[in-house]
Amino acid sequence: MKKKTVSAPRPPSAAPVQPEEMLRQLSESEAAVSPPAPAVNPLAQDPQLIQDFLLEAREHLTNIEARLLEIEQGTTSEETINSTFRSFHTIKGLAGFLDFVVLQEVSHEVETLLDRARSGELRLTPERVDVILAASDYLALWLGQIEASASGQQAPEPPAPDELVARVRQALEESGKEDPAAAPEGSAMEAGEASTEVRQAEGGGARVAASLVKVETGKLEYLVDMVGELVIAQSMLRHNPDLEGVKTPRVQRDITHLARVTAEVQKTAMAMRMVPIGQLFRRMSRLVRDLARKSGKQAELDLFGEDVELDRSIVEEIADPLVHMLRNSMDHGLEGPEERVAAGKPPVGRVRLSAWHQAGQIVIEIRDDGRGLNRERILEKARNRGLIGVDEALSDSEVWQLIFHPGFSTAEKVTDVSGRGVGMDVVRRHVEKLRGRVEIDTTPGAGTVFLVKVPLTLAIIDGLVVHVGEDRFIVPIYSVREIFKPAPESIFTVEGRGEMALVRERLLPVVRLARRLGVAGGTAAAGEGLMIVGESEGMQFCLQVDRLAGKQEVVIKSLGETFRRVRGIAGGAILGDGRVGLILDMAALRPGAAVHGLE
Amino acid sequence: MMTAAGSAARERQGKYLVFHLGREEFGVHVLKVREIMGLQDITAVPQTAPFVKGVINLRGKVIPVIDLRAKFGLEQAEYTQRTCIVVVEVKHDAGAMQMGAIVDGVSEVLTLQESEIEDTPEFGEDMEVPYILGMAKVKGKVKMLLDIEGVLSTQDVHGLEQLRRREGAEAA
Repeated sequence: MKKKTVSAPRPPSAAPVQPEEMLRQLSESEAAVSPPAPAVNPLAQDPQLIQDFLLEAREHLTNIEARLLEIEQGTTSEETINSTFRSFHTIKGLAGFLDFVVLQEVSHEVETLLDRARSGELRLTPERVDVILAASDYLALWLGQIEASASGQQAPEPPAPDELVARVRQALEESGKEDPAAAPEGSAMEAGEASTEVRQAEGGGARVAASLVKVETGKLEYLVDMVGELVIAQSMLRHNPDLEGVKTPRVQRDITHLARVTAEVQKTAMAMRMVPIGQLFRRMSRLVRDLARKSGKQAELDLFGEDVELDRSIVEEIADPLVHMLRNSMDHGLEGPEERVAAGKPPVGRVRLSAWHQAGQIVIEIRDDGRGLNRERILEKARNRGLIGVDEALSDSEVWQLIFHPGFSTAEKVTDVSGRGVGMDVVRRHVEKLRGRVEIDTTPGAGTVFLVKVPLTLAIIDGLVVHVGEDRFIVPIYSVREIFKPAPESIFTVEGRGEMALVRERLLPVVRLARRLGVAGGTAAAGEGLMIVGESEGMQFCLQVDRLAGKQEVVIKSLGETFRRVRGIAGGAILGDGRVGLILDMAALRPGAAVHGLE
Repeated sequence: MMTAAGSAARERQGKYLVFHLGREEFGVHVLKVREIMGLQDITAVPQTAPFVKGVINLRGKVIPVIDLRAKFGLEQAEYTQRTCIVVVEVKHDAGAMQMGAIVDGVSEVLTLQESEIEDTPEFGEDMEVPYILGMAKVKGKVKMLLDIEGVLSTQDVHGLEQLRRREGAEAA
């Protein structure tokens, strides 16, 4: 074979280009807005660059949104506008680099608007903020499309930006007609206010500047997995019967040391999955703002506990329920300005979103100062729908729980916001999926409080290890209400088939775990073994098992694709002796769940 | 581009792990094998087909284990000292996963040339032999080369049919 001596030309992407450098070049030539030559840009094909772009652009969009809301609330400063401007500018630069012409064009238009605002030539009125927010939404739409097509999916392109660009330009033109110095009605940029807010903005900036490392989530999950193993290995070693024989002080000390270090490592690994809830909360500010505008109500959202951290995956999963609950508070809870004034309240409604730690859980509170839940209306609706009997007496908390019923809504008219009866049942389902609970507290005329309690992490649960025949199962503690040893006379048979147990004056259906899962062995006779009162989706039932082996904190493992369709089993966990125990899925075990489980 | 037949032949030759079930010997391509482990405590999973023995803890991962004798419809045998679990990597729609297969024992790793591998003979129409890549004759003995991914494909693991029948019976 002949050796080639000609060196290959360096691929253009070989030399790393600094983003700053890129930006400088771009801003030097403002002509960058016009679409560049349609020659194939090798950079635009690089999947890694596109991924980086998506990540960075999304961060900037988040920043833009947060800053805009600050501007609108009047907590604005030069730095706020500058930061918004820079974010758009960076997106523009990066988009241009990768030939995303539309993104570049839209960002450029907004940038012009912000530039004028920055130099004091125009005021950022709510209408202008609206336009900028629309632009940021539009960019987000494009990012979604780029991401989809980068992963090989077919995704429709968002509509052309012409209308949007026209809106931005119009917002820009109107500026000529006004005199920024004579800003009317409590302008967003009053000098006195600005000075107090600057400090806040700086404080926020300092936190972002903390040194961070971006890590692929897959690696993180693997680390957490392996740490879980380390904990198990450590506990197996500690309880190893062979080691019991050599209990010298040295062995004891070393094992204790190992246990301590392992616990520390586990804590740190878990902490790496934790993110502050603040980011999610700030997304909600945008929602409340939009909802208030749409419904003609006035509302302010206060955020507390933004620094409270919880598992990344929970933050993602809790977003939907939060949106539903906020919508509910905005639409059903808060009254219109006139009604509020008539009731002797300030016209602006307040919604408070707060988060805190409590007993190994995270509590998220949504508190509004609206009209509160109407007991009579809910009862009437429930009777009409046949959810409860005509003369059934319910406690307050039982009445409030009715609003979580599928298809239940007391809104008289279906609005864009809510009233379709989907929502609160979705909330409960989501929260229960996260192994959490929703509680309600309400005072007529004074407001409603929703308390969402979710675990800190999805990776670990507390479980009761129970025996059925030869097998061991893990019952998640969050769905256990009580455990009791049944007396034979407290078990009743209904028409020779279903069994019911009398628990605290209430009849609850009995599910025999052995029979339900088709496990060999298990207590045969009624009224033997142990009864676990479980709760799922508001329904309580008794689960009959043979005996209780203890309580254990377990790391949840997926059983994988193979057992995806096995009902009643939520996953596996490695028990203290290294064997696998199966975690029960209480929702699938509850009576009546089997009927719609199979297909 | 190779022809389909050519690529199949190319894929067939190589190193095989030989194990046995009763008197029959089988081969699995070593690239599919992750490890071989002694029998250990298996946790049964309810509502699965009889050949699915359950799940085990493989260094922190929970993986399914099937009994190859039961899968192939051979008569059940007592597990002995030589019984072991061959852990193989199986690809499916959602990615790759590991699975264990219980076999009577493993004997050796063989290097097979394409010339030593014959296509599966026709056993007649009602004798289906899916999952068999070919037969290898080594020192007068025949070893069946298994498409282990086909054998362990997840589709019929659930015994869904049986489940439906059982539920039908319960409802009646």
